[in-house]
Amino acid sequence: MTGFFRSRTQIAVLLLSLAVVALTPIFGNLYHLHLVSLIAVYWVLISTLTLLVGYTGPISIGHAGLLAIGAYAYTILTSKFGWNGYVAIPSAAAMCGLCGLILGLPSLRLPGFYFALTTIAFSLIVGENLLAWGGLTGGGTGLMVPSLPGLFASPRALYWLCIAAAVLASLFCYNLARTMWGRNMIAVRDSEIAAQSVGISPLRTKLTIFMLAGFFAGLAGALYALLQNYILPENFHFDLSLFFFISIIIGGRGELLGPFLGAVVLTLLPEVMGSLAQYATLIYGVVLLLVVLMLPRGLGPMLRGAFASNKGTGEHAEEPDTERLKALLVGGKS
Amino acid sequence: MLAPLVTGLALGGLYAMTAIIYNVMFSSSKVLSLTTGHMLMIGGVAGAWAISVLGLHPMLGIALAVIIGGAFGGFTEVVAVRRTLARPDDHLWLLSTLALATIVQQCVALWWGTEPRPFPKLLPVDGTGYLHQRYWLPVLAAILMAVAVELFSRRTTVGKSLRALSEDELAARARGMDTGRLRLFSYVLAGALGAIAGLAAGQITFAYYALGLSLTLNGFVALALGGIGSNSGALIGGLILGLITAFGTHFFGGEFQNTISIGVLILFLIIRPQGLLGSAKLRQV
Repeated sequence: MTGFFRSRTQIAVLLLSLAVVALTPIFGNLYHLHLVSLIAVYWVLISTLTLLVGYTGPISIGHAGLLAIGAYAYTILTSKFGWNGYVAIPSAAAMCGLCGLILGLPSLRLPGFYFALTTIAFSLIVGENLLAWGGLTGGGTGLMVPSLPGLFASPRALYWLCIAAAVLASLFCYNLARTMWGRNMIAVRDSEIAAQSVGISPLRTKLTIFMLAGFFAGLAGALYALLQNYILPENFHFDLSLFFFISIIIGGRGELLGPFLGAVVLTLLPEVMGSLAQYATLIYGVVLLLVVLMLPRGLGPMLRGAFASNKGTGEHAEEPDTERLKALLVGGKS
Repeated sequence: MLAPLVTGLALGGLYAMTAIIYNVMFSSSKVLSLTTGHMLMIGGVAGAWAISVLGLHPMLGIALAVIIGGAFGGFTEVVAVRRTLARPDDHLWLLSTLALATIVQQCVALWWGTEPRPFPKLLPVDGTGYLHQRYWLPVLAAILMAVAVELFSRRTTVGKSLRALSEDELAARARGMDTGRLRLFSYVLAGALGAIAGLAAGQITFAYYALGLSLTLNGFVALALGGIGSNSGALIGGLILGLITAFGTHFFGGEFQNTISIGVLILFLIIRPQGLLGSAKLRQV
């Protein structure tokens, strides 16, 4: 029941992703390669952000700030301090994990709104400081990113590195979500008091997951810098945080598959829209509003419902089955 | 030392007004709307558009901006708040107000442009240097707004009903109050107050589309400093934050403005999470 191949949708998405990943280096040009790598890098960040927002509950709208710190940490460590790239990537990730700790410790103790606003503020002050510390970060002119030495120097090799990171993040999230930690997270999301009564510390759970999300955001940031070759503060605009966040809400909270599809669609959307790309953020806003008002559980459960071979597998569902409940209640009355 | 003091007070007035507007909406719905800063932004942009572009008399321009602001406040309630409060999920309003704030900001950016545009002089009063109306108008407006909101909620029937609603919604409804209409009213009021605040501070902020998010943020810091739900706390918190920001900018440079205010917030959350004048019971479980 709870195996990985739980439904046909999951198998279909998995096979399709594998096909795209395997065929792009053979048939695609460098632009296609870049796009798939970008989706993979975003997914490294979004998958762990899903653990936080979708499973544990706190709403982080400032993940572009963490991505920026990862990217700049990697670039500065390699270019200004001459570190080896393979040491700099985990260092950048660790630095972001530490940022998660510093940011989460005061704000996660308070009601959700404080955390949400602290993360928004964080992404704004990261942008501000990137411009302010021009000597270190290059300010508005940005920084050239040194490519990795040795094996992963070429774009094609880097593609496989990004894919490997995405697979690693997926496995990590999938395993964490279905084991005891995942149950803890869902318990904290659904009722902190109930979670406390069975011996789960909400703050500890939330803080750990936020640190993990920070760590993977840093990893994604380092890979993002490598992919872009050149980083600017504008790359990490607030709209990017919104983009990560909306992928998860559209996909559905408490899901992994939905946010994955959300990330794919939202990454490709500005690319296929061409001259309409200036409306991208507006469209994100409209989509978010519609999803929140009409489908608060996101599109994930709907997808599953359309293809599922075994109905009622909503083990991470947020709401009771209101339709059936309503039918029962109405039936009982008459 | 006079320069940071004067700009700090003016900024403080702006932040205090934002915090009061948060309170007006919070009292009726327990929602801290992310569109709060955008209400001020819309007021400022609408005022600049009416006075500078349409060439209306400043008083007519102010009236038009207040009407537009009130309409936006009502729109926020109808679109983003009403339906999310009816659902059991926590913090759904956070997402819907974020979405609405994004939509509004992008629409203004597309229509008005992404460059800050100058804001016209509002009052036919002369004053140069630090006596220029751009410095004292926000402070005066903030104090008047705090007094007016307090008087309104203590002396008038509607105000008292709103207070009853904020104490206990079920009891208020049992007493025959139309809580839905009261909540809509409080949002229209918040939008109109937002427009007034945006107009009063327009000469220091300019008419700028991206103002909304940073005001939402700084207004919240002021609110958290003073304590959520307290208007006098909002006034004090706003002025403290404005002064800290202005002196910080004076000593460290303008590029650290948000960093300083967020530093204040984080420090404060560690030391006194309920705010200066707030009560500890607001920390919901």
